[in-house]
Amino acid sequence: MPSTDIKQEFAQNAVPAAASGASVASRPAIIATRKRCEADGVGLSHYVLMDRREKR
Amino acid sequence: MSGSALMSGAPSTGRYANLGTGASLIPFDIGHDDYVALSDPDSAFWALVRKDKLADTLTDSALMSNYQAKAKDFARELHALRFELKPSAVYVNPTERCNLNCTYCYIPEGMRRGGQHMDADRLVEALGRLRSYFSTVLPDGRKPRVIFHGAEPLMNRAALFAAIDAFRDDYVFGVQTNATLLDDEAIGFLADRQVSIGLSLDGPLAETTDATRLTFGGKSVHDKVLRAMEALRGYSAWSVIATCTEKNLDQLVPLVELFHAREVPTCMLNAVRCTLPGARTVRPDDAALARAFIAAVERTHALYRETGRKMVVANFANILLAILAPTARRLMCDISPCGGGRAFFALAPDGGLFPCSEFIGLDAFRGGNLFTDRIEDVLESEAFRKVTGRNVDRIDPCKGCAIRHFCGSPCPAEAHEMNGGMDRVGAFCGFYEEQTRYAFRLIADGKANDFLWDGWDAEEGGVESSFDFVLP
Repeated sequence: MPSTDIKQEFAQNAVPAAASGASVASRPAIIATRKRCEADGVGLSHYVLMDRREKR
Repeated sequence: MSGSALMSGAPSTGRYANLGTGASLIPFDIGHDDYVALSDPDSAFWALVRKDKLADTLTDSALMSNYQAKAKDFARELHALRFELKPSAVYVNPTERCNLNCTYCYIPEGMRRGGQHMDADRLVEALGRLRSYFSTVLPDGRKPRVIFHGAEPLMNRAALFAAIDAFRDDYVFGVQTNATLLDDEAIGFLADRQVSIGLSLDGPLAETTDATRLTFGGKSVHDKVLRAMEALRGYSAWSVIATCTEKNLDQLVPLVELFHAREVPTCMLNAVRCTLPGARTVRPDDAALARAFIAAVERTHALYRETGRKMVVANFANILLAILAPTARRLMCDISPCGGGRAFFALAPDGGLFPCSEFIGLDAFRGGNLFTDRIEDVLESEAFRKVTGRNVDRIDPCKGCAIRHFCGSPCPAEAHEMNGGMDRVGAFCGFYEEQTRYAFRLIADGKANDFLWDGWDAEEGGVESSFDFVLP
């Protein structure tokens, strides 16, 4: 079932501020972005083409 | 539409997060030292907030007011993506037959062993009917996609190639193949016509691939696939799918090393679809899958940093896209309703129409026949509505989950066949949790673009910014 808590196992993938050369206080307080485009995805788990070849 | 983002007329100022008509912003842990995430699931809006700023952010902050101004637009955008698309692709199975007997195939063995082909005339007729339909729903200048799929489409090679030549100006074509019949002549034909080609390989060594992918006679196909990969080196539009099972989790890192060394432009590391019982015999544990998957994705990043050559892991890239630009996603499995029966549908060799290839072995999901029924009616059939009506907002425990629209609780075929109904959670909930948390960690650390194809957000590709809030 869902919600297996394996936070600890994956904490190692986080990059501590010290390791990235930045103190916590020097990192942005908030990051929030979003982009948009015409939706035209048709891939599924058996096939994918990862591109957007032309502006439509 | 539902959700606080769209309510109006209530006696609420909308000023306070999680009260009245105020934005719903659910905080959740992403496993990062410095950041937590906030999400409004109704609009798929998110923010990463430094942990020491969370209280300030949830009170009267600039983020709140900026989001309030956009909340309705974002909710409408998500609603359109989830409920208002028209089909623009069809997955065509030109044969039921396959020369392999993979453990996890979603096509029943009887079909693969002795099923029917669609002859060339019938396939050409089918694509003609489909072209007429697509001309009524797609804007001028946009070509629909036809992806030949299986079973093994190259078992019916003559019909396949005849159809591609007959309609080369009408469709964008793709072929997903096990690569055992993908000889130089076939590659030349497909490459000349810019047909995208997808292969399958599950391990870096034959012993791993052979654990799940063998001929009916028990012969290995590993080396044949490697030969096809070598022949495709340098072609721009090809990809390889690895199906992740308990048989290959410990080989995912060397597998992506092999893919990268052979200049695979794009790969997918897909959790095995557990629709049919055979697949469930090799189902991996969610936590083990997440651990192996993230290690492999991390390895692709290290290889990119070492060589300057990027290999996109498409299914993970799609999770990133679902977060960064919901409408830019390329895969339509990780959204609810999924793309089956609404963004695309599938055609079986007997003319049967199904919401997705995944359902072709399940007759209850046959919505009609291309040669006798109107596609418009098939899309509204009960068989299709069972799939298009599956809504993550009504599924326990998904309906309270902050990341439900980055995940979609895939797949309806698995939910129905393995978990007991369309109202049940998908197959790999824990795995999706970890993928999403990892994706947010990459965004927090400014690495996300390293995992997406170059130019994915280029303006000339029609992508534009709709929110850009970074508070120092």
